[in-house]
Amino acid sequence: MEYLAQIVPVMAEGLKVTVSLFCVVLVLSIPGGMILAMIRMSKLRVLARIVAIYVYIMRGTPLMLQLLFIYYGLPFIPYIGIQFDDATAAIVAFVMNYAAYLCEVFRGGIQSIPKGQYEGAKVLGFTYFQTMRKIIIPQVIKCVLPPLANETINLLKDTSLVYVLAMNDILRIMRGIVQRDFDTSAFFVAGVFYLLMTFVLTRVFSYLEKRYAVYDE
Amino acid sequence: MSFISMQHIEKSFKGNVVLKDVSLEVNKGEVISIIGPSGSGKSTFLRCLGQLETIDKGTIMVDGLCLVKTGADGKAVYADKKTQRALQIRMGMVFQQFNLFPHMTVLENILIAPKMVKGMKEADILPIAERLLKKVGLWDKRDEYPSRLSGGQKQRVAIARALAMNPDIMLFDEPTSALDPELTGEVLRTIQQLAEENMTMIIVTHEMAFAKQVADKVLFMADGLIQEEGRPEEVFDHPQSPRTQAFLQSML
Ligand SMILES: Nc1ncnc2c1ncn2[C@@H]1O[C@H](COP(=O)(O)OP(=O)(O)OP(=O)(O)O)[C@@H](O)[C@H]1O
Ligand SMILES: [Mg+2]
Repeated sequence: MEYLAQIVPVMAEGLKVTVSLFCVVLVLSIPGGMILAMIRMSKLRVLARIVAIYVYIMRGTPLMLQLLFIYYGLPFIPYIGIQFDDATAAIVAFVMNYAAYLCEVFRGGIQSIPKGQYEGAKVLGFTYFQTMRKIIIPQVIKCVLPPLANETINLLKDTSLVYVLAMNDILRIMRGIVQRDFDTSAFFVAGVFYLLMTFVLTRVFSYLEKRYAVYDE
Repeated sequence: MSFISMQHIEKSFKGNVVLKDVSLEVNKGEVISIIGPSGSGKSTFLRCLGQLETIDKGTIMVDGLCLVKTGADGKAVYADKKTQRALQIRMGMVFQQFNLFPHMTVLENILIAPKMVKGMKEADILPIAERLLKKVGLWDKRDEYPSRLSGGQKQRVAIARALAMNPDIMLFDEPTSALDPELTGEVLRTIQQLAEENMTMIIVTHEMAFAKQVADKVLFMADGLIQEEGRPEEVFDHPQSPRTQAFLQSML
């Protein structure tokens, strides 16, 4: 008990790192994913193709590889090589990866809206902007909520990958404690931290899903 | 001059010529029925008037306003966006698949366009919405979502939604084709009622009996051309063209 009281505050510091990284990445990758989805579905053929390839690469290679590449590999690339500090490298890698996943989520959502909805709005005199705001986006939100919840929870757990950089997130602090004290309690504390966070996220999303569940189809 | 004038409309999709040279004149208060085999271009023709498709060639005038005309180079030239939209608002359109907004209740479906498009106040639209929903017999369903309605009810809401914009012209594209046979009657009666109120209407339909009863003029379309047109008695009882005769035979 005394031991727990000693390690929990230390690990809570790691929690801050994890939560900040999670929030920053989420806030950046949602609009990023939307923009990618719009380009991917636009008539700008070349750009759409580039986004498709980008998404393919991001989803087809391990996030860990992307993270290591951006932190350790990028500085060695001639001309464009830059050295990010660890927090920046983590944010860049996560946003690039999650924007690609969310691009597909949003694209699926937008494509699930039948053409008739646009036509129904058009013949009533709606402008394109009004159609998107009042007719299309509310329906897209409803159908992307479940996959968005999935990706969000994945992101929360994936943030633990930053322990390969020198970032003191929950997992890295946990490892330090375990190696120092030869005691496994820290594993359980970390597990409980993650469970608490996923619990909160699940509740937020189920609240949102309920709000949008008033109609079906 | 007639209320709606569509002259020499041509339209193709990627080399597939769908409308070859179609013309139609509609007077105010007139009801036109368009019949014809599948793929003959009926929907496309209606959608050109409803501005869901753009034409390649031809002239469309509505109430003296020009929507599109053939320019010097032989290609269709559309009016500016403002005119397009002004004409759009004067036309209501009803689809085979209803196209109600599933995330809004019946009443919200009716209110949204007058509110957004015409900037009307909710208090001013409510009495109109009430009158229209009562007219189609669905006032007590006003708080339901469309998914809870039958096909016939959905289509009647779609009609009320279009009417809420107070259009001068109503376009119907096979309004009963997605309905179970026992539900077509309620929708046809609603359209019949509009005809009695002298609404100008163009109705694409496979319901021959209905077309005969409601229309002032019937158009038989096949292969992107109007093969025959005239009063319903003429077209249905004494069709001149062999194409019409064969089609009507097949519909029996
Ligand atoms: N958006 C489109 N792109 C390409 N071809 C199209 C498009 N819309 C219609 N067509 C083609 O145009 C032709 C006429 O179609 P249209 O829908 O106007 O026929 P229709 O007379 O309404 O038939 P139906 O009775 O089956 O509704 C068809 O060959 C169809 O494949
Ligand atoms: Mg059709």
